[in-house]
Amino acid sequence: MTKTGLTKTGMIDFRGVNKWFGSLNVLKDITLSVEPREVVVVCGPSGSGKSTLIRCVNGLETIKDGDLVVDGQRLGDPATNMTQLRTEIGFVFQAFNLYPHKTALENVTLAPIHVRKIPRAEAEKAGRELLAKVGLADKVNAYPAQLSGGQQQRVAIARCLGMRPKIMLFDEPTSALDPEMISEVLDVMVAVAEEGMTMMVVTHEMGFARKVAQRVVFMDAGAIVESGTPDEFFSHPKTDRSRAFLSKILRH
Amino acid sequence: MIWQQLQSLAGSYPLALRGLGMTVVLSLISLVLGTLLGFGLGILRTGGNRLISGLIGAWVDLIRGTPFLVQIFLIFFILPEFGIELDAFTAGIIALTNLAACFICEIVVAGIRSVPTGQVEAALASGLSRWQRMRQVVLPQAMRIVLPPLVGQYVLLIKDSSVVSAIGLTDLTRVGWLVVQRVPNGLLVFFLVGVGYFIVCYPLIMLARRLERRMGAAHGEVQL
Repeated sequence: MTKTGLTKTGMIDFRGVNKWFGSLNVLKDITLSVEPREVVVVCGPSGSGKSTLIRCVNGLETIKDGDLVVDGQRLGDPATNMTQLRTEIGFVFQAFNLYPHKTALENVTLAPIHVRKIPRAEAEKAGRELLAKVGLADKVNAYPAQLSGGQQQRVAIARCLGMRPKIMLFDEPTSALDPEMISEVLDVMVAVAEEGMTMMVVTHEMGFARKVAQRVVFMDAGAIVESGTPDEFFSHPKTDRSRAFLSKILRH
Repeated sequence: MIWQQLQSLAGSYPLALRGLGMTVVLSLISLVLGTLLGFGLGILRTGGNRLISGLIGAWVDLIRGTPFLVQIFLIFFILPEFGIELDAFTAGIIALTNLAACFICEIVVAGIRSVPTGQVEAALASGLSRWQRMRQVVLPQAMRIVLPPLVGQYVLLIKDSSVVSAIGLTDLTRVGWLVVQRVPNGLLVFFLVGVGYFIVCYPLIMLARRLERRMGAAHGEVQL
């Protein structure tokens, strides 16, 4: 094919990606490759572009220039079917975004039934199993408004898993949660990671990063400033900016 | 004398029933067609195609900004000049349906826009197609916002249907005009005409009020 050269790429490949919001350069020359089964944690101060970065992966944001290849398909290429590609990518939102008019089970089975065309009975069986797996077997028929934040986020993760995605993206999945609910969500994410899911996780949860991430990427002002193993990054940050950032989040 | 008038009025009740029937049939048909068309226009208006959206917006503004009587005259008296002959009933249905569709379009647009972007993003991210997103995620939530004013709009539509008497359809209002020629007591006759409309409209007014109260209780989708 073209200059992207689709031979031997990662699962997610950013090459010289740039994006602007008006005159603001929100992603600056991003080059990053995520291998299959790799877990990459993205952190950085607010406004550094980390959410925008992962929102590009499933096309919730479009890029201005550079190449972004996901699962062998180049985004923005007319030959790439975004709707199809999105079925392979789970996305967990900071605000959960569960469908408020559907029960937990219906939230999980909606896309499998309508997109994957799995028979309802089969989808519901799989849905119950997934909800049990995230510890919500007893909340199958509850509506989102009847669930706590932590429970809602676990339903949201089950909703993604229901599509059997190749990639999972997490956009600050625990930032909107009360402190006592954070660990129940992180536990589920750890379990997903340990099953070999390719993951990009925007989070400041250092414990999670140390436990499952192969790599931590630190962003500031739209650029990747530093990248390394969790141990390298947390124990020996290389730049002033990452040191300043770490001192702020680790103080608490 | 009032006794004589009442007796005479009682004799006109078959005509009154026919008029009421015409009002109900006219309203019902245009209400159903107008709702379907209004939802279609509302969905297209929010669909992202600027040209289509702009055209619908201009048409809605035009219809909302001109008197219904003028619209009905244009359809009934002016269209034949261009070779489109319509009987009064068809013309009435077209005019009322168009009016209803335009108002309902605006209500539907407001409902669709009230659904948080996060909902659309979640549906998008799980690979739902455009129509699936609308059908499964957006519309059910929009209905919370749409239903109370929609039912209110039906009440307005039923009352607006009285204008079709101007092109000779024998609806409830025109029956009033006919009867008052025989029974010269306008106050009494049109009081009864008013009662006729109220009987049709009141259940809808009650329904609208009930829906408004229920919106807070539902989980997001409305069970009627």
